[in-house]
Amino acid sequence: MGSMVNCNVNPCKMCMPMGTVTAFLGIAGCMNILHGSQGCSTYIRRHMATHYNEPVDVASSSLTEEGTVFGGEANLVKGLDNLIRQYDPSVVAVSTTCLAETIGENVPDMLARYRESRPECRTRIVQVSSAGYAGTQFEGWFRAVHALVAQVPMDGTPHDGINVVTGPISCADTRALKDLLAGAGLRFTLVPDISDTLDGRHAPEYSRLPRGGTGIEDISRMAGARGTLELSTFVDDSWSPGRLLQERHGVPLLRCPMPVGLRDADAFLKAIEGLGGTVGTRVRDDRGRFLDAMIDAHKYSALGRAAIFGEPDFAYGMTRLCCENGIVPMVVATGSHCPSLEKLLGEETRELAETMQLPPCRFLPFADFDAIENAVVETGANLLIGSSDGRRIAAKHALPLVRCAFPVHDHMGGQRVRILGFEGGTAMLDRLANALISRRDAQFRKTARDLHFRPLVEEEEMERPMAAGDARTGDGVDVARRNARRTLTHPCFTESSCRTAARIHLPVAPACNISCNYCVRSFDCVNESRPGVTSKVLSPREALERYLQVKARMPNLTVAGIAGPGDALANFKATRETLRLVREADPDVTFCLSTNGLLLPLHAQELCQLDVSHVTVTVNAVDPAIGARIYREVDYMGVRHEGEQGAAILMANQLAGIAMLVRAGVVCKVNVVMVKGVNDGHVEDIVRRVRGLGATIANIMQMIPVSGSVFEGMPLVSNKELTVLRKRCEGIMPQMHHCQHCRADAVGLLGEDRSAILFGGAASKPGPIVEKSEAQGPRKARRIAVASRSGVVVDQHFGFADQFYIYESDGSDTRLLEARHIGKGPGGCGMCGQGGGRGDGAKGLDAGKIAKALAAVSDCEAVLAMRIGESPRRQLADRGIAVFATCDDIDRAVREAATACNG
Amino acid sequence: MDVKTEILGKYNAKVFKSRRDHILQVEAGEDGKVQEIAANTRAIPGIMTNRGCCYAGCKGVVVGPIRDAVTITHGPIGCGFYSWGTRRNKARAGEDGKNFIQYCFSTDMQESDIVFGGDKKLRQAIKEAVDIFHPKAIFICSTCPVGLIGDDIHAVAAEAEKTYGILCQAFSCEGYKGVSQSGGHHIANNGLMKRVIGSSDQAPAGKHSLNLLGEYNIGGDGWEVERLLAAIGYEVVSVFTGNGSVADIARSHKADLNLVQCHRSINYVAEMMKAAYGTSWLKVNFIGIESVCQSLRDIAAFFDDPEIARRTEEVIAAELADVAPEMERLKERLSGKTAALFVGGSRSHHYQFLLRDLGVTTVLAGYEFAHRDDYEGREVIPDIKEDADSKNIETLEIVQDPKRYRVFLSPERYEELRRTMELERYSGMIRDMPDGSYVVDDLNHFETEMFAKALKPDIFFSGIKDKYVLQKGGTLSRQLHSYDYSGPYAGFRGAVIFGRDLVMGCYAPAWSMVIPPWKAAPSSNQQPPDEKGRNEGTAGGPSDA
Repeated sequence: MGSMVNCNVNPCKMCMPMGTVTAFLGIAGCMNILHGSQGCSTYIRRHMATHYNEPVDVASSSLTEEGTVFGGEANLVKGLDNLIRQYDPSVVAVSTTCLAETIGENVPDMLARYRESRPECRTRIVQVSSAGYAGTQFEGWFRAVHALVAQVPMDGTPHDGINVVTGPISCADTRALKDLLAGAGLRFTLVPDISDTLDGRHAPEYSRLPRGGTGIEDISRMAGARGTLELSTFVDDSWSPGRLLQERHGVPLLRCPMPVGLRDADAFLKAIEGLGGTVGTRVRDDRGRFLDAMIDAHKYSALGRAAIFGEPDFAYGMTRLCCENGIVPMVVATGSHCPSLEKLLGEETRELAETMQLPPCRFLPFADFDAIENAVVETGANLLIGSSDGRRIAAKHALPLVRCAFPVHDHMGGQRVRILGFEGGTAMLDRLANALISRRDAQFRKTARDLHFRPLVEEEEMERPMAAGDARTGDGVDVARRNARRTLTHPCFTESSCRTAARIHLPVAPACNISCNYCVRSFDCVNESRPGVTSKVLSPREALERYLQVKARMPNLTVAGIAGPGDALANFKATRETLRLVREADPDVTFCLSTNGLLLPLHAQELCQLDVSHVTVTVNAVDPAIGARIYREVDYMGVRHEGEQGAAILMANQLAGIAMLVRAGVVCKVNVVMVKGVNDGHVEDIVRRVRGLGATIANIMQMIPVSGSVFEGMPLVSNKELTVLRKRCEGIMPQMHHCQHCRADAVGLLGEDRSAILFGGAASKPGPIVEKSEAQGPRKARRIAVASRSGVVVDQHFGFADQFYIYESDGSDTRLLEARHIGKGPGGCGMCGQGGGRGDGAKGLDAGKIAKALAAVSDCEAVLAMRIGESPRRQLADRGIAVFATCDDIDRAVREAATACNG
Repeated sequence: MDVKTEILGKYNAKVFKSRRDHILQVEAGEDGKVQEIAANTRAIPGIMTNRGCCYAGCKGVVVGPIRDAVTITHGPIGCGFYSWGTRRNKARAGEDGKNFIQYCFSTDMQESDIVFGGDKKLRQAIKEAVDIFHPKAIFICSTCPVGLIGDDIHAVAAEAEKTYGILCQAFSCEGYKGVSQSGGHHIANNGLMKRVIGSSDQAPAGKHSLNLLGEYNIGGDGWEVERLLAAIGYEVVSVFTGNGSVADIARSHKADLNLVQCHRSINYVAEMMKAAYGTSWLKVNFIGIESVCQSLRDIAAFFDDPEIARRTEEVIAAELADVAPEMERLKERLSGKTAALFVGGSRSHHYQFLLRDLGVTTVLAGYEFAHRDDYEGREVIPDIKEDADSKNIETLEIVQDPKRYRVFLSPERYEELRRTMELERYSGMIRDMPDGSYVVDDLNHFETEMFAKALKPDIFFSGIKDKYVLQKGGTLSRQLHSYDYSGPYAGFRGAVIFGRDLVMGCYAPAWSMVIPPWKAAPSSNQQPPDEKGRNEGTAGGPSDA
């Protein structure tokens, strides 16, 4: 039925009998009985009592297994007898449940027989067919009212009153609606009326039947009314009480939306005036006050990006209230099937979304909270509006939830929620604005501190005297604090420092002891470092030389790391020697190391002694079954292990190693390579697990399918999927968003790799690294900009690129110079120009972006892109920059482009 | 006229006959003979019973709290929604990070699924759940229509188990089966016994190991009990099922002893494990200071280890020292008050001890879905007549597992302990109730109201459905199914929390303002003039003391 999803995860709807029972409770002296097994009554009473904090008596015919075989009439008869005797209700409403409908109970016939056999019974009995599988509480509500109007004998004598039919609204809203109608001088019958029945007073005597509700005699006079005002946009004609009154009794029907928000409240008042009511000064004043509040609140409202969920009329009304207040609905969801809602929502939300340059509102029909949560995360909604069932999303993502729809189980006041009319709208707007203000205020200190003061503050904290129990080295140094201080100037661990602090990776570790399915041994591990460039391995001595040489040119060099090209610990001798030499030469430099973790427990202690303060462990699974799909082979202490066994050994060592490091005060980062269809559903588990061990930050990365690897045919994880996952994991531990997939011999600021320039090009001093083709002749090296998301193939539209990979090639050798963010001219920092933009690509192409893109590639001789618009192509041509539209591998495409340039 | 006569007088002849045997006033019998009560019979239609259905007992009570299994409700959306997060059974993710307690999974059957069958949808739903959540096991609980349209959920489960390589167990717990939740407990117990218990032989690491049966960790009760047991030196292998995990339950047969807390919902597992694996079970009660001490000492006696005995006394002494002063103060506030309890299986019994610790007398107690043995003691089981409804629930034939069967106690020791403690026996609630108090089975709303008026208890412990009936009538009501938002109530610390909650309720200032000044008697002290005042809401107020 429309939905592709078969497992409803956290439902955003209830069943039909919930709605029938609630609506019937708005009828004076009415008792409900559900025909079916008793659990339905019990569950529904339980849920209503929690929301309304009132006794909710719903009887059951308590069908048992026997009833399913022989029919339930005997039980229903007993049930009616007992109910009528014990409660003496004026009306009994019989709703069927799944059970009764599935066994095909003919309730109308049973009731006819019942009435016949009990002529003395004065209780009116109405019945409605309400299988739980045939609709939600929303449909149930209307079907109940429809059944009443259809089954109560009507008196068509004309009178001057009107009928008002509502969908599910709160008790307090019902009271307000009645006041409004009475204030307009109208005589009216409101069906149903739960204002008292479900929001009773504390009275001296408990009354088994709640007072209040629409009188059955009033209902019988509905046929003679001047008109019916039906306050619902989505009531279906087949169960519309107003339509029935019109068709059967000729009562004119006027339908208007639930009066939520200024426009619909206006429409409602206009309808009242049309029916002969007068709108008094009090109401006009309320309108003025609402408008005043709307203007006053606009600066807060505009912060709102709402996710609205609930019954169709609620969702639509609330969307309109949000829109007219500048709160942008990002997600609107309902548990019902409601095709007409989509079109109306589109019309309602389009303009505001365009004004605010946001993507169109996402509509989720037949939704569950799992779908809502995903949409909330993907759209960046910051305000949840609906029932208290949204609380799990609210808690998980630290978002405010304004509880204003049924059910409100965890807070007080569900029965007193005010939404309708000007006053209700004002109250609602205040709640929404205050939720946004609280959220902003709660974050203000952190935002400001992160933006302006974080390094200062943390340094101050570090000056505080040491507390007993802090981890220290033998000579009394507080390791954790010293390492934390180093974190501040480590570009990978502290994003704000990547503009100032540079790092060098020393490629001393060629061997690796595990085989990952995404890796081809003949290259550097692309998922750990930059693709396609084979780098030279240095000896520890050479590494020291390179370090000193770079340090001399880059005083801001704060970090020396070992990141392969194989595994740092699989080459422990070289690693140890390198670190020892560099430490001798520079007592202050921060040591950082990246490993698969297999030998971590073995070397953890020595790493600490070597004063390594930061370690990155790549953990792709914490479940051997999943690990076995990623790791082909694990070589542990000279023995090769495959499958789950290998994965289990690796995992055990990784996790134990992380724990050991954390205990010793080492700052641990965990990299996770996200492989679609393999571990993508498992990443949260990994992050949770390493968080539990005390890791500091997680860096979830896309697996890059390398040709020749086992995973070459695997799908690429999209940036969006990555963002969603990171966002989810953010609730567990901090996420690294600025990873640049550095090479094993990277040098410089993050995102601005200078290694090729320093060592690979003409300025090379220690000798060229990539020199296989020295006899290539005097071909000129061309600088080429590549639009690519993956970094492997040319796969991006020129206008959509947020960054370009800048390559240099003479037609045979290619090397990557940097990844350059647009908004930064050549040579600028790629990291800091990102601003606060979100929703990549969705903003479309604006002229400013094209201009930035053009500026970013201005020093290049060619541009490679998947596609490019006519205008930018012309502009590039005007600047003498050649354009190649291709989808090829970057490597090959760059070589070809360079060859073409060289003519 | 006594209240029983008054209530029965309001019923028609049929109901009169049916309800008569479910209500009794406790009288001291000769030689400890216990009065007989009718229980576990069909609820009367239209009478506003508090009972739930078979699905509620299976999914809601027993299967649902297992934290690392995904439990899919196969049926229309209502049942899944209504059993979602309502029981406050708490769980904490284990080592593997898995905890699905916050989730509700449903196949959300639509009209077309009823017509054409829902097994395709179920199969797909399992696939989606496995793909997204990677659970340790999948449990499937069916609702009313499923049994009627003939979806073969067991075949779907078997197929899924093969496909995904994880345990996949279906429970046919359609709401119409049995007469209450109780049938669902039995079905759930059977499923766990058939497929989960005994499926892993990982031995406990500790010297003395036990399982905690019938503890659902409402408001953290189970955690508090586990804390005590761990402090003494026991290894709790598994908990059925609050914060329970599939892997722990799978190896529960390796434990030396089963502690049975909620007798009604889990006694089947205890008995079946006894038969299959030889595991002894001991009825315990961790509610109430005296009861906890007694239970801890009983367990120590079972293991007969001087070190354990010493630790037990140390823990008891330390815990008592912690809570005694506050318990004294709370007792001062609560002494002389009266209580009525109407809860599910065992709480109506257990809480009487805690109330006694606080000086509160029980005037009425009843069970929603208990059997006669919960009231009168297990010795009546052979006399219980099996009716059609109970026959519809399968009773498993258990055979001794030759490899795993082991007996912890020597026959002599077993006989000795049987005499001194509730080892593999339970003597029921009635024996512990004061003379003159009432016992009511399957209390309904009408009777609740009548008893509240007649007995005027200061506190009525019950559930959310009757809470507002009582409070509108002026009687303080606390939810003893879910502890409102509170807990834990178990153990020493829990007793204090419980006491505080009672004081908070009894002395809520609102009760003293129920009668507006213009209606108050002209006396200076605002005391209601007559007994009607009680009904007007001063129950539990300080003026009653």
